[in-house]
Amino acid sequence: MLASVPAATLLGVTGHPVQVEVHVGNGLPSLSIVGLPDASCREARDRVRAAVLSSDLDWPPHRITVNLAPSALHKLGTGLDLALAVGVLVATGTVPAEAVARWAFLGELGLDGSVRSVRGMVPLVAGVRDLVDGVVVAPAAAAEAGVIPGLEVRCASTLTELVAALRVERPWPDLPEAPVVEEPPPPDIADVRGQALGRRAMEIAAAGGHHVLLAGPPGSGKTLLATRLPGLLPDLDDDVALEVTQIHSAAGATPSTGLVRRPPFRAPHHTASAVALIGGGTVAMRPGEVSCAHGGVLFCDELGEFPPSVLDALRQPLEDGVVRVSRARAAVTYPARFQLVAATNPCPCGPAPGGCRCSESSRGRYLRRLSGPLLDRFDLRVEIDRPEPGDLLGGEPGEPTSVVAGRVRRARARGAERGVTCNALLPTPKLDRWAPLTPSARRLLEALMRDGRLSGRGVERIRRVARTAADLDGRDGPLDDEQVAIALALRSSAGTAALGVAS
Amino acid sequence: MSRVGSGDDERAALATMLGLPGMGPARLTAVVDRAGTAVAAWELVRRGDLAGIDLRLVQRRAELVDRWVQAARGLDPADVLDRHRAAGVEVLLPDDAAWPSTLAHDPEPPRVLFVRGDVALLERPGVAVVGTRRCTAGGAQIAGRFGAGLAAAGLTVVSGLALGVDGAAHRGALGAGGIPVGVVGSGLDVVYPARHRRLWADVAERGVLVGEAPLGAAPERWRFPARNRIIAALSLAVVVVESGARGGSITTAEEATARDVPVLAVPGSVLAEQSVGTNQLLFDGSGIARDVPDVLAALGVQVPVGTPRLFDVLPADGLPGDVPAEGGGAVGAVAAVLSAVPASVERVAAAADVSVTDAVTALARLEASGAVRRVPGGYERVAVP
Repeated sequence: MLASVPAATLLGVTGHPVQVEVHVGNGLPSLSIVGLPDASCREARDRVRAAVLSSDLDWPPHRITVNLAPSALHKLGTGLDLALAVGVLVATGTVPAEAVARWAFLGELGLDGSVRSVRGMVPLVAGVRDLVDGVVVAPAAAAEAGVIPGLEVRCASTLTELVAALRVERPWPDLPEAPVVEEPPPPDIADVRGQALGRRAMEIAAAGGHHVLLAGPPGSGKTLLATRLPGLLPDLDDDVALEVTQIHSAAGATPSTGLVRRPPFRAPHHTASAVALIGGGTVAMRPGEVSCAHGGVLFCDELGEFPPSVLDALRQPLEDGVVRVSRARAAVTYPARFQLVAATNPCPCGPAPGGCRCSESSRGRYLRRLSGPLLDRFDLRVEIDRPEPGDLLGGEPGEPTSVVAGRVRRARARGAERGVTCNALLPTPKLDRWAPLTPSARRLLEALMRDGRLSGRGVERIRRVARTAADLDGRDGPLDDEQVAIALALRSSAGTAALGVAS
Repeated sequence: MSRVGSGDDERAALATMLGLPGMGPARLTAVVDRAGTAVAAWELVRRGDLAGIDLRLVQRRAELVDRWVQAARGLDPADVLDRHRAAGVEVLLPDDAAWPSTLAHDPEPPRVLFVRGDVALLERPGVAVVGTRRCTAGGAQIAGRFGAGLAAAGLTVVSGLALGVDGAAHRGALGAGGIPVGVVGSGLDVVYPARHRRLWADVAERGVLVGEAPLGAAPERWRFPARNRIIAALSLAVVVVESGARGGSITTAEEATARDVPVLAVPGSVLAEQSVGTNQLLFDGSGIARDVPDVLAALGVQVPVGTPRLFDVLPADGLPGDVPAEGGGAVGAVAAVLSAVPASVERVAAAADVSVTDAVTALARLEASGAVRRVPGGYERVAVP
């Protein structure tokens, strides 16, 4: 009287296959679960028993032992309920063993025998992809489970329905119609009036993957610009789309239509904790904002208001493209390759209309929070001015997102041969090969370096950005004055200038 | 313990009393005038026996006296004086030979002066260069130019060692090998602002550091107006580089006027917040300080023929240095619309009627040539070559 049913558990954003082994033997009636279940997993005992009894099925008056293999892996959550119930029913002979052999069962049970969806369906299904022919889930989870190609998806809304289907007494219930969701178009960059330099900065950021710092007074359109960046980015490729879909599923957001193809946009508030931003948690590990922004844009408005400890925590994912979270029970790695767009006021008061009222020292303190290694990550530091009233009221709308995105796509294609995904990642030794300078552009930069207004590292950033500007213009060959000049115009911010930092 | 003579007793009593909480020049004068000598005044303070003395305080007077009595309990004037001497700080009284002659006939002279560095340097003719702490980049540059130019003409440069204009003037003087005179509000061991630690040390070493507060005195707000009157009193002229409508440098100008010390102001754009105060001074009749020779002329110093002045070296097209030959039209058009008031790229492009791309290219060339610079808020013209 032994049964073994495939299922999966979620650790971080990865689904791990779990074999639910059920043994029904002699002894006092009891049910014990071994194999490192967490609290919610151990509670399955009561839920499953109630669900089986509610479904007019027999609960064996025997000693039941459940092992969750591999035993060394911590199992979290309620997603093993369904597999456990099926295991018991197989072990007691209610359901034939051969009917469940090539199926994974993923779902939670209600006391009335209803089957419910759980968080992270996409990674869970991905976890068992190579072990089974198909998965059985709750109807509400069918669309999400179907994101992973190559697996058959069946659903059952109650345990009764499931047992009838497995015993071939009744056909499988139909899958619910996938809801047709019309994705709203991304915000259009044509909405940004004036701000020629700011718009150009977002275009270059999209084409080169450069991180952007926007500095300007409130109402100057920093947020407006930042929200336009995802629309300019190309669709995600298959691998990244799958990663992004898994992350969002693990974070509890149900993807409505297949894989997530559009770059996500996340804008955590500055009161967010380091755990909310980076991911983790003591019991159920969840991906943080940086992982939810994987493949897309992380927008930190009011960067200067984020606690320094939180800003420090951003540095590792910016460097490595992944987040490693270690806890007592497990260490998990989340993908976190995002494009950082940050906005800041030049000083704590805004500056207020009619001039800044901050003291020199409070202004210095405010900007110093941004200095150092984090500031170093921003290839583009753009000072945004309040737009002219004329631009706001009657100005011509700028180019729409569709036109700019087309240029970005062509620019990215130009960069494909360089062996990096975007120009922001061009390694320093490769700059002479991929971003050489014309003699006059070189003279321009040399003059600024001589005066100490530009550092060696600053020049590298200028060359990467200028390379992207040239790609957008459809130009090959050495970078000329015009491209270097636009990079120079986008290099500085109120912050660095006020601090006297060579950028 | 050093032998303490009667002059030293006075010295010690004054230094000790100035270290009491809330004890400024005015209250000190009131107490000492009543008691006759500082030593006797110290006795009154220790006993709290201050009835009938005007402490310029109506409410909470008893509380203040109480705090003085409390604070005085642990103090020995001889110790206080020894501590100053050990720290290399001289405590000067008006009767001392080294007392600066500029203060001899001052309407509101300090009772005591704390000095670090060469006291004799205070006898040299000096000009004050002061201004707002929140100056523009251009203002700091002008202040440095005045500091250097006046130092080169053999004058000491008197200022308050504050952020902004004050610090820039002192740096200019030091850079030209001149003598800075720093007049500060706090004790000579309390560096304020902390960012100027290095500058304080340099001023004390190459010039002289002066204050009215004993060691350990915090830079409390009320100390600065009193400090400003000493700046005015020690100077032959006061140059205000940049100032808002109100502020310390306006106080300094007022104190200077009260002492018949000429005030000169650097004219600024009528659009610039930092020039509201200086332009008002000019309107009210101050001398104009376009460059160092203007100040020298106001002092009656012979300006050598052929000394280049700022308004002589600025070329007619407003562009100092080499304007890059390449780039043609846009560079000229962009250069023509730039001023000392910072403007963003978009504004520059609109004013010059060129594309943003042309504007940034022109600005990059101008920046590389040193004719413009980036400041918070955009680009401004560099006025001083």
